[in-house]
Amino acid sequence: MKRIGVFVCWCGSNIGGVVDVPRVAEAAKEMPNVVFATDYKYMCSEPGQELIIKAAKEHNLDRVVVASCSPRLHEQTFRKAAERAGLNPYMFEMANIREHVSWVHAQEKEKATEKAIELVRRAVFKAARLEPLYKSAIGITKKALVIGGGIAGIQAALDIADAGFQVILVEKEPTIGGKMAQLDKTFPTLDCSS
Amino acid sequence: MAAAAQHPNIKLYTYAEVTEVSGYIGNFEITIKQKAKSVDHNKCTGCGTCWEKCPTKVDSEFDLGLGKRKAIYIPFAQAVPNKPVIDRNTCRQFTKGKCGVCQKVCPTGAVDYDQQDEYIKEKVGAIVMATGYDLFEWEKVYGEYGYGRYPDVITGLHFERMASASGPTGGKIIRPSDGKEPKTVVFIKCVGSRDDQKGKSYCSRACCMYTAKHAHQVLEKIPGAQAYIFYMDVRTAGKMYEEFYAKTLEDGAQYIRGRVSKIYPLGDKLIVRGADTLAGVPVEIEADLVVLATAMVPAKGSEEIAKIVGFSLDKDGFFQEAHPKLGPVETTTGGVFLAGACQGPKDIPDTVAQASAAAAKVIGLLSKDQLAAEPIVSQVNEELCSGCELCKPICPYKAIDMKKITERAHGKVIERTVATVNTSLCQGCGACTVACRVGALNLKGFTNEQLLAEVEAICL
Repeated sequence: MKRIGVFVCWCGSNIGGVVDVPRVAEAAKEMPNVVFATDYKYMCSEPGQELIIKAAKEHNLDRVVVASCSPRLHEQTFRKAAERAGLNPYMFEMANIREHVSWVHAQEKEKATEKAIELVRRAVFKAARLEPLYKSAIGITKKALVIGGGIAGIQAALDIADAGFQVILVEKEPTIGGKMAQLDKTFPTLDCSS
Repeated sequence: MAAAAQHPNIKLYTYAEVTEVSGYIGNFEITIKQKAKSVDHNKCTGCGTCWEKCPTKVDSEFDLGLGKRKAIYIPFAQAVPNKPVIDRNTCRQFTKGKCGVCQKVCPTGAVDYDQQDEYIKEKVGAIVMATGYDLFEWEKVYGEYGYGRYPDVITGLHFERMASASGPTGGKIIRPSDGKEPKTVVFIKCVGSRDDQKGKSYCSRACCMYTAKHAHQVLEKIPGAQAYIFYMDVRTAGKMYEEFYAKTLEDGAQYIRGRVSKIYPLGDKLIVRGADTLAGVPVEIEADLVVLATAMVPAKGSEEIAKIVGFSLDKDGFFQEAHPKLGPVETTTGGVFLAGACQGPKDIPDTVAQASAAAAKVIGLLSKDQLAAEPIVSQVNEELCSGCELCKPICPYKAIDMKKITERAHGKVIERTVATVNTSLCQGCGACTVACRVGALNLKGFTNEQLLAEVEAICL
């Protein structure tokens, strides 16, 4: 028997304004392997993460599902929360009920809630089959390459070099300076651009 | 500029291009093509005798054709390095096979016509892209402004070269056609920007402010001059920007809200015809000089270098950031960062801020002794792999190789080929798992079993 906890986020009114979030959490309780489900205004916030950690300990959870926004935004946040709860960070699965539900189905609240439940079910089924994964270590060459010797490249190269690292600055023209060297005085201070 | 050249930690390659990048975050291998300068910069003192004596004069790219340079040249007096290169496309020694003047006059024997392109290999842990922008080619599409036929219709960058004290006119604003000082200057904003029909849909962000600066310079440098600015909106979102614009208005710049429909020559004047949409009347101005605020577009060659380094472009060809708000200097390729207008149109303050942000990201990365590699990578089930090699060309990160394994079958020891994944190169995209016909490739965290469970959940 797996022990999955499901945490459904309101994202303020971003999700909560469209999806019936408490109903999604209630539905999750009936899904296989789910031993705990709840909802909260902002799952990514400190109290939201604490909620996950506390529930993981109290209910002896071995995997976590968060239904909230895109993994691009908060997958790392919740992986870290899972880790703080004593789980392998990859024993976590995310269901995107914001970009994939509330933002695109704002006019159909009932259907949106149904879709959110379906997506949570998907995540729960996958979560039941998750395996712990482990990061490996790789070395680093402590040197940077900057491509382009205009004001952006010069500034970046100087900052990196000042921090004590070697920098290779490559410019295709015979001189560095780029467009900025062509300019006269520059706004708003009207100082020279050399 | 000088600070970058003098910094002990910065190795400068000018007249050079990055031609190859392989590897991954923390461990890139790069190849730099050092184009032949035809001048040994170790011997050259930058004395300038060669370019004084060079008989070939061509239009200066740096001065946008407003001035001339020689075939052996430095782009401008304060260039870094302050040593010349030979432009082999125009130099007589290379085009006609005879001349040799620069070699004869060089006091240190630095001119070397036989110098070859060199390829240099280097290893780096992080890459900052800072390839900048070019200006929209308005001459190709804006017929109403004359398709570039009128010499006194110029761009803001031409204006900059004229206004520069070290420029081709020594800081004097003139008409390129006859060298006279213009009394009435018309500025047109959003040429190629915010124009879905002929140009780009985006705002180029710097033009409102530099046009205000140009108008201020016209009124300051030319006594009795008039400056008219045709605009769609005035966007001055920046510290001290609105104040600068207000000062330009006080200086006497006349802002006209509306577009210009036609420019045509009449005598030695240019008639600029447009509309003042606030007053609701047509406007006609007899101008001596017209300055266009042309859109910023990605620098030529952006697409090629993005392919070489290995990251994506946005719909306009600028470099795609990892996230518009939360990852504005990262790309989706680990260890590759963005600085300046290569990511999107930017003014100087924003460019400098982003460059420092990219540098901070690089410093953070290089400060670590080791990196934790994501475990979501592809893995090969060697028992199932048939060694068909279908996955190898599909991998966009060149992470799949073939290896030989030996095993026992029917009492014999046999050798066969199977795929193997370099887990440092693999970015976990999953393309190989789809290509594999026998299902020998699986992406950790997205295994076939896990994906099928998801399908089951939806289809229940």
